[in-house]
Amino acid sequence: MSDDLRYVGKSYPVHDVAQKVTGELIYGSDLNFPGMLYAKLLLSPIAHGMVRSVDSSRAEALPGVLKVFSHLNSPADTYCRARLYPGQECAIDETLFSEHVRFVGDRVAAVVAISQAIAEAAVALIEVDYEELPALLTTKQALERSDVLIHADGNLLFEMQIESGERPDISGAVLVSSTTATPRVHHAALEPHVCVAQGHSTGGMTVWTTSQGAYGVRTVIADLLGLEYHKVRVIKAPMGGSFGGKTEFIVEPVTAFLAHETRRTVKLLFDREECIRATMVRPATETTIRTACAPDGQLLELEATTTLDSGGYASSTPDYADHMCKKVTKLYRLPHYDHRCQVVYTNTPVAGAARGWGAPEMITAVEIHLAKVAKRLRIDPVELRLKNLVQPFDIDPVTDMSLGDARVAECLERGAAAFDWTARRARATGKGRYRRGVGVACGAHKNGQFGSFAEASNMALKMNEDGTFELSASLHEPGCGVVTVMKIIVAEVLGVHPDLIAASEADTSATPFDYGTFGSRMTYVVGACAQATATELKASILAAAAEILETPLEELVAREGVVYVAGDERRSVAFRDIARLSHMKHVPAIQAATTYYATSNPGSYSVQFAEVEVDCATGLTAVTDFLAVGDVGRAINRGMVKAQFQGAVQMGIGYALYEHVDVDEAGRSGVDGFKNYHMVNAPDMPDIDVLIVEHEGDDGPFGAKSVGEVAMVPTAAAVVNAVNNALGTELSDLPLIPDRIIAALAANEGGEA
Amino acid sequence: MELLLKVNGTAWEISARPTARLIDVLRNQMGLTGTKEGCGEGECGACTVIVDGKAVNSCVMLAVQALGKEVLTVEGLAASGELDTLQQKFVEQGAVQCGFCTPGMLMSAKALLMANPLPSDQDIRKALAGNLCRCTGYKTIVAAVRAASGQETAAMEVPAEKEELLADLSVPGLAAPAPDVDAAGPASAPPRREGGE
Repeated sequence: MSDDLRYVGKSYPVHDVAQKVTGELIYGSDLNFPGMLYAKLLLSPIAHGMVRSVDSSRAEALPGVLKVFSHLNSPADTYCRARLYPGQECAIDETLFSEHVRFVGDRVAAVVAISQAIAEAAVALIEVDYEELPALLTTKQALERSDVLIHADGNLLFEMQIESGERPDISGAVLVSSTTATPRVHHAALEPHVCVAQGHSTGGMTVWTTSQGAYGVRTVIADLLGLEYHKVRVIKAPMGGSFGGKTEFIVEPVTAFLAHETRRTVKLLFDREECIRATMVRPATETTIRTACAPDGQLLELEATTTLDSGGYASSTPDYADHMCKKVTKLYRLPHYDHRCQVVYTNTPVAGAARGWGAPEMITAVEIHLAKVAKRLRIDPVELRLKNLVQPFDIDPVTDMSLGDARVAECLERGAAAFDWTARRARATGKGRYRRGVGVACGAHKNGQFGSFAEASNMALKMNEDGTFELSASLHEPGCGVVTVMKIIVAEVLGVHPDLIAASEADTSATPFDYGTFGSRMTYVVGACAQATATELKASILAAAAEILETPLEELVAREGVVYVAGDERRSVAFRDIARLSHMKHVPAIQAATTYYATSNPGSYSVQFAEVEVDCATGLTAVTDFLAVGDVGRAINRGMVKAQFQGAVQMGIGYALYEHVDVDEAGRSGVDGFKNYHMVNAPDMPDIDVLIVEHEGDDGPFGAKSVGEVAMVPTAAAVVNAVNNALGTELSDLPLIPDRIIAALAANEGGEA
Repeated sequence: MELLLKVNGTAWEISARPTARLIDVLRNQMGLTGTKEGCGEGECGACTVIVDGKAVNSCVMLAVQALGKEVLTVEGLAASGELDTLQQKFVEQGAVQCGFCTPGMLMSAKALLMANPLPSDQDIRKALAGNLCRCTGYKTIVAAVRAASGQETAAMEVPAEKEELLADLSVPGLAAPAPDVDAAGPASAPPRREGGE
């Protein structure tokens, strides 16, 4: 590792930490404007049906109500909530308000009123008559009932198959199959979804969004409302978490429409129940895997079929499925791989983007499966994986791209040693009420979108006359330190402290185009853009210094905000003076604007180890110890890299043990708030250790790779494998709620008797 | 009805319905938007404020219930303009990510430290049990509260190269970077693992 880095690799708080600990930061949900109106949505109470009539007369008669909107007085144009740029291929199946309601929570109508309380009271006065249609609540039902169409083109939204390699000779091989179900999960960002939109009398508008992609919000709104792009200004407001749940444009189009219609400022702030029912969930998936492997544990082939429940609308689920089919070969060497995937509409909450984008779903299935294979072969799970993991610079047979400096095997070896895996695994699980077990799982993810579309970012950087810098970039800080990472990278290149650099968040009228803050593209792609932009700016600083100092460029060195003449350091000029002189004396301008194109997309990796204690009387599982190992290339902000793993493990434990948004036979979820949606709290969290593996063999800034998503990819499987190790079970229906554990124990005992 | 409330040491006379929640009066009438609403049913703790020394969820408390009592919100922590120790430790330990839970976390932790100046890790986790965080996994938050109680642990040790860095950065106006919070495990944990890097 190169140790000459000054700022990269140290630990820094998030850039706006001071405003956050004092409570002064104005989040999207805190925004208020003079004369602001409040919107409240009427959501469908039924899972499937047609709106026969909407009577808003009583609601509109309520003093303080401006207007009620429904499909009767709004555009019938469809849009895609996940579209990033015009012309992008995506499933366009959503309208502002539905005549055909497709899940409990579908948008039926909206009230605009002068206060939140009046808007809420008015919504209750809208009378809607529905004609109910059969509700198809599982992918199986939806595929079987071709007589009931959720969307006109059929309930099978998307299907694909990916195959690589040749079908091998599997005579003498050990065949194992398993089916894993992963649940529909609420993202549960602490701040609810919110949008504030200001309709201008000129026809333009300003929108404050807590989205992860302001430019996508802009084009979807502008296209839907028939506005020119330069008249729609979308500003990213401070947001209280996302985890993918705010990636797609859910509250923005409807709020923009209401503001445009009223030419006023309209705020739409969801409550928690609305967030759960009417935004988006992590998709429920079911994956069946069959592997053939040699008796020594060498994998010969892996065949998988996945069904993904898209819910009432497509959102991004076809792409999600595509990614699910491209995960396994990032992790394991497979002579033959065959994956078929179906995405199916159902009358359940809309599914879409979620942290890990298909990887937690697919890798959970694979890693639970491999635990079963190890058990069959009586091979240690670590040993089994070491025989099959990819190695640095392997070519992914599915994407035909290099996996880069993939150090997952090293993560596994170092992690196993640190966790004392062999000794812990050999320890008895116990036969009494409390049983202990350990589990391991590996995970892979990507670095941006290269290979899918023209992955690039744009930035501009300027130096102020006092030697400070401003990076103009369309960043969207979700809370994980995106802005800080860019500051550190620019600081390292320029040789000045990160505190001397400001980096902007997205404002479509002011900051350069970028797709958004998602897809594990921030550090690897956008960070590389920051590095390239800063490198260019540094060159112009030196060029100006050369003129000022009347010295050839190659004789100059820059250090800590000063340019010196090498060998004669009495001759120097400070950055701030260069900036000042560049304005006054027209020495070359100090500016840089760069487009950076990604040319690679290596794997990021994590290997995780869990120890659990299961209470066989109650079925409750406690995670008692946890180690997360990450191959992140290089840690730009070391403290935050570790914090990403700590938070991701928390989310993954919930995915494994607690969290699920189930629906009843009417398609309605019993989950209507945090009171019946259990998340891991402070007493339930184990003490997580994090081990970072750094090799810097890839193209990211200073060798860095993605962290935030891969960090949660293997967590659930590690926990599930530990539970199965403790109990001798083969549980694979997530989450492992007490009922399922008790039922499995009962079945085991029945089997043994 | 007219309400006389004392918030962050200042007396407020405000007009509110008898059914008004404390959080709405704080946020909408006093402009104290540091208090956040994440669930509206007392489950997530983002709205935690301190009333007469006790941490309460202001989304399930009526404003009238605070009559004659001292209310402390996150805005009252740095009343003198300087961050108090707890806020400072949240900054140093990297205990803040999206920050939406932070005000509530701070107020629950503050109430704990007011009642129990030297809490154990278990005490801290218990006191924060009603405050959900979706970003951090709580480790840095617990470390920050422990540090604020003056209980220095291994986790707070600044590695040698950090000391140099801090010395180098003694430029006025430049904040020092936070120490590496995971330089070593907490002192109470058994030393069962080799170091990370």
